[in-house]
Amino acid sequence: MNRIGRMTLGNVLIAGAFVMTGAATAQTYPDRPIELIVTFGPGGGADVMGRQMAQILEGELGVSIPVTNVGGASGNAGLTRLRTSPADGYTMGTLISLTVASWASGIGDNAPDDFRIIGIVQSTPSFLFVAADSPFETAEQLLDHARANPGELTVATSGYGTQDDVALIIMADQGFDMVNVPFSAPGERYAAPLGGHTDVIYEEPGDVGQFIDSGEYRSLMIFAEDRHPEFPDVPTAGEMGLDMVYLNTFRTLAVPAATPEDVVARLEEAVIAAAASEQWQAFCAQTYTCLETLTGEAAQAEIRIFYEAIAAQLED
Amino acid sequence: MSTFELLGMGFQNAFALWALLTIITGLLLGVVAGALPGVSFVNAMAMALPFTYSMAPTQAMLFLGAIYVGGVFGGSISAIIINVPGTPASLPACWDGYPMTQRGEVRRALAVAIVASAIGGLTSALVLSFAAAPFATFALRFSQPEFFAATVLGLISVIAISKDRPIVSLVSLFLGILIGTVGVDPQYGVARFTFGVPAMQSGINFVVVMIGLFAVSEVIDLIATNRDLRPSEAANARGKVSFRDFWDVRGAIARGSGIGSILGVIPGAGATPGAVIAYGVEKQVSREGDKFGTGIMAGLAAPEAAKNATTGSAMVPLLTLGIPGSAATAIMLAAMMLHGVNPGPLLFLNDPTMVYTIFAAMIIANILMIFAGIGVAQFFSTLMKTPPAVLGAFIILLSIIGAYGVRNNIFDVYVCLFFGLVGWVMKRVGFPTAPLVLGVILGPLAERYFMTSLANYNQDWTVFFTRPISGTILALAAVFAIWSLWPILRARYRSVVLLLAGRPGS
Repeated sequence: MNRIGRMTLGNVLIAGAFVMTGAATAQTYPDRPIELIVTFGPGGGADVMGRQMAQILEGELGVSIPVTNVGGASGNAGLTRLRTSPADGYTMGTLISLTVASWASGIGDNAPDDFRIIGIVQSTPSFLFVAADSPFETAEQLLDHARANPGELTVATSGYGTQDDVALIIMADQGFDMVNVPFSAPGERYAAPLGGHTDVIYEEPGDVGQFIDSGEYRSLMIFAEDRHPEFPDVPTAGEMGLDMVYLNTFRTLAVPAATPEDVVARLEEAVIAAAASEQWQAFCAQTYTCLETLTGEAAQAEIRIFYEAIAAQLED
Repeated sequence: MSTFELLGMGFQNAFALWALLTIITGLLLGVVAGALPGVSFVNAMAMALPFTYSMAPTQAMLFLGAIYVGGVFGGSISAIIINVPGTPASLPACWDGYPMTQRGEVRRALAVAIVASAIGGLTSALVLSFAAAPFATFALRFSQPEFFAATVLGLISVIAISKDRPIVSLVSLFLGILIGTVGVDPQYGVARFTFGVPAMQSGINFVVVMIGLFAVSEVIDLIATNRDLRPSEAANARGKVSFRDFWDVRGAIARGSGIGSILGVIPGAGATPGAVIAYGVEKQVSREGDKFGTGIMAGLAAPEAAKNATTGSAMVPLLTLGIPGSAATAIMLAAMMLHGVNPGPLLFLNDPTMVYTIFAAMIIANILMIFAGIGVAQFFSTLMKTPPAVLGAFIILLSIIGAYGVRNNIFDVYVCLFFGLVGWVMKRVGFPTAPLVLGVILGPLAERYFMTSLANYNQDWTVFFTRPISGTILALAAVFAIWSLWPILRARYRSVVLLLAGRPGS
């Protein structure tokens, strides 16, 4: 009896040792919870995307995916945490355009090559919105006023050195000088034009859908090559005579660069399946961010192009 | 339909079996999470979020709302019993609640805290139900300078909190503000005071500092002095609760409820500044103000009422404008958006049933909270009967888990233990720790609001004084400061010098 007990214990220990060594290989990956670091505070676009993805991916990967919010420094605080985590696929993070832009202006100590993009899951152009009671009815009126009164109009953005900032710099170079007012808390940013604290807000439509639907926001201009199918009446910056570099807001899931290939492949497969799910499709339609999920080298290249475009603009 | 009819309909929905069960589950979860240091109600709500996906939108909101209400109160249980605020907003509960426990009046302290919290929460739930629209319009007028002014008021109230040595308290406060600057700054992304340590880039989290200063230091002191925390039999006799106790602090509860309800509406203000400001105001108003900090019931009741009074009113800007003013309401917003519900004025037109069911649920939750609070407090009270060595080990364990749990970061555990040592030394030399924690919490907020204000108003610093609301709040802060410092200002030069040296003048 006693001996049987001891043998069983021994077997358990041996079995345990096999599990331990097996953990590193792709056959068993993932066999424990994967932490998803959302690099911004709760309630923002990255957070909603991260939590939505985490929930669908839990079904795809069969392990739980707890979400941790690590905000600060345009997302760099959370990314530094991701970069310094073990590259074993058990720590994922959200990597979004705003953060890539911040690298170009020397914020944080992260670089495009520090991360391996699993997939670009959302991408959307940004708009200039004004409050319903704003004197500016059209983009023309707004731009005319900006040209006549340089530095008078204020624009609520997500921060300095972001694609928001770059868009405003390019516009200022072409004679439309507006002041960048950074609001790192999304809630405060959305409220800024409504409370009359800023004249304009630079924002993607998905994050402020409730204000567009209720008519509290008026869409003046879109920063994209073509008009948006959901907003056919909103003119592009190009139509208004601006020569812009169009930088979409995108959101990706990423892991540290040294993560093994087979682990990345497993994650890519899961993210593609998740993006095709009904739940995700309903979500992206609601947030105006649907696109074909970009993975692999193509996704990596997209990030690099974005980074270089912003760096080039900021150098001038 | 009139507000009363709609609210009646809301009650009908909220009293349905599934809704009541949801509220009770949420309340219990919230109180327990709140009472555990390091697991705040925000953590609990974020963890509960995935569970709400499968619920109907209204049920999801009831669940999260109940966790919110229970969690904001729960922090006071551990604050009163073991001097460890379970959530930052319960910090003031340590100042007069824990001394009551030390006198053996733990049951009285808990009873006052629960009743004050429930009344505060109920007040603001009623504000939410009947005055959401005008309050929302008022809140929108708050821009960054107003947020800055409100934060300054919170910082200034530290002087009021300090018993007799405002200068020493200010030194402690500024030390806290300095600690708050560590890490990557939010505006320009420059690393400050990180000394090349990557883990420092994420900054020093105030919850970690708080756990170290209050919990770990208490255990070190326990070991160093070898005292017995268990109340004696005679002391316990004084712990009898009577209706008289609540009646005596009715003024404090009313003032706390009022302050909390107003501050809660303002995006960004929230429970912690609400509780701290209510404590400061009460200290000035109360006849026993000079004895605050020694276990005065009014000093416990006012901040307790205020912090729970922010729960209902914090939902005003969320539901009426779609603007989350705090992390807790941001999670609620996320839950609503995931269900395809867009909060804002349209919600009141499109789905009044949902809105008023939430209102009714907030009212019910605050009443049920009395029972949930008593239940969890009973469990925590048994801790008091354990030997100090066991209790000390339990607190240390809870602190380490709590510090790690904040950001799942082992570095935070070291920071927590370090501040435990710092807190013990501060306690020994009579250096107040509470202002330091407030500095770590409010300092970074003040910085962010200040920087954005300047960007928005042409780098013109006079906006803080020329904008009416901001100017009024700052004037209030000045009056507050002068009023608290008046005895010193009046005293002769010699006594001022003595005060600066850390010895109160005669």
